[in-house]
Amino acid sequence: MESGIETCVLVGVLRWHEQARNRFQLELEFVQCLANPNYLNFLAQRGILRDRSFINYLKYLLYWKEPEYAKFLKYPHCLHMLELLQYEHFRKELVNAQCAKFIDEQQLLHWQHYSRKRMRLQQALAEQTQAQPQTAPPHGNAAAK
Amino acid sequence: MAAAEKSTKERLMSVLDDLEVLSRELIEMLALSRSQKMPQPGEDTQILELLVQRDKEFQELMEVAQQQGKVHQEMQLLEKEVEKRDSDIQQLQKQLKEAEHILATAVYQAKEKLKSIERARKGSISSEEIIKYAHRISASNAVCAPLNWVPGMCQALCISHWVLVKVHVQLHSLLSYLKGDPRRPYPTDLEMRSGMLGHMANLSTNGVNGHLPGDALAAGRLPDVLTPHYPWQSSDVSVGMLPPHHGNDFGLEPPGHNKENEDDVEAMSTDSSSSSSDSD
Repeated sequence: MESGIETCVLVGVLRWHEQARNRFQLELEFVQCLANPNYLNFLAQRGILRDRSFINYLKYLLYWKEPEYAKFLKYPHCLHMLELLQYEHFRKELVNAQCAKFIDEQQLLHWQHYSRKRMRLQQALAEQTQAQPQTAPPHGNAAAK
Repeated sequence: MAAAEKSTKERLMSVLDDLEVLSRELIEMLALSRSQKMPQPGEDTQILELLVQRDKEFQELMEVAQQQGKVHQEMQLLEKEVEKRDSDIQQLQKQLKEAEHILATAVYQAKEKLKSIERARKGSISSEEIIKYAHRISASNAVCAPLNWVPGMCQALCISHWVLVKVHVQLHSLLSYLKGDPRRPYPTDLEMRSGMLGHMANLSTNGVNGHLPGDALAAGRLPDVLTPHYPWQSSDVSVGMLPPHHGNDFGLEPPGHNKENEDDVEAMSTDSSSSSSDSD
């Protein structure tokens, strides 16, 4: 009789644990989707960003900023978007497609920032090495003469 | 009592006056007695006695006055001492106040330092974890574009007025150049649909015609092997991780106020619904 109760409790706990794990997975995916400005525009146009319970949910999702949760995020841009989404003004602006496009462009430009910097450095280095051999021969000619 | 008593000076003056009067009378009497013969026999002795008495009083008063003078001098000395001590005490008081002020500042700053040390310790993360995480987000190109990333034609048109695009076209990447590199700093449509969320959504709207492998899987046409597994789902990493508790209903107002109402003085009505109840 007691073992029956124990197994029930165990099964209940395991089920709860699994549900919690699923919820974790879902929330992890959803919060990262917020990094996509087109998706945000999609949500805004369907009026989902005006829903009170959704706004409360966004506030609840702020727990992803804690380090023990943030380490699971692959797309950290989503945290900044989440912070911006707490403001009503931002949520209202997202209805415009131009706004979403602007955010997308800025995101891409920021994303490319380091690769462009690195390319510029490499170019500068290449130009430097090219310039050095060119300066050497004129000295050689002058010495020969 | 002291007001009723005459001051020594007044008594001296009155005694001197008495003496003056008496001596004048005596001299008048002596002058008269020359011309007349003893009109009042007892009066001159009386006056003499009074004179002697007054003189005694006078002497006594002089003694008293002398003593009083000494006492007064001592008093003055003591007063000076008192003044000196007073100024010493005031100096000490000033120094103590200064010292207290300095100590209070020092204690306050030390407390602030301790607070910031506490905060730093609370937020401390092992450097190894940070490096691991930094590697994970950089290597997957989530925060830094790959070096050979090329925007597609429509993207290039959009951002060409800010960026000068250097075109390195190779034959095998001609198509990708036209289409553009699909990688982005956020999960794309494809990735979103192939995740748990996407599967749940597809299950509820079964039969939606999708062009993506994820949708095909949901519609049951592709075997499991072909599901695109994107590492952003990180199922293996997050074993054992659970989300924080929350009440089931997000419809009610959470305690505290929202950011757009921060300027309001009154907090919103708090029907606090967030209890630590388990879901379901």
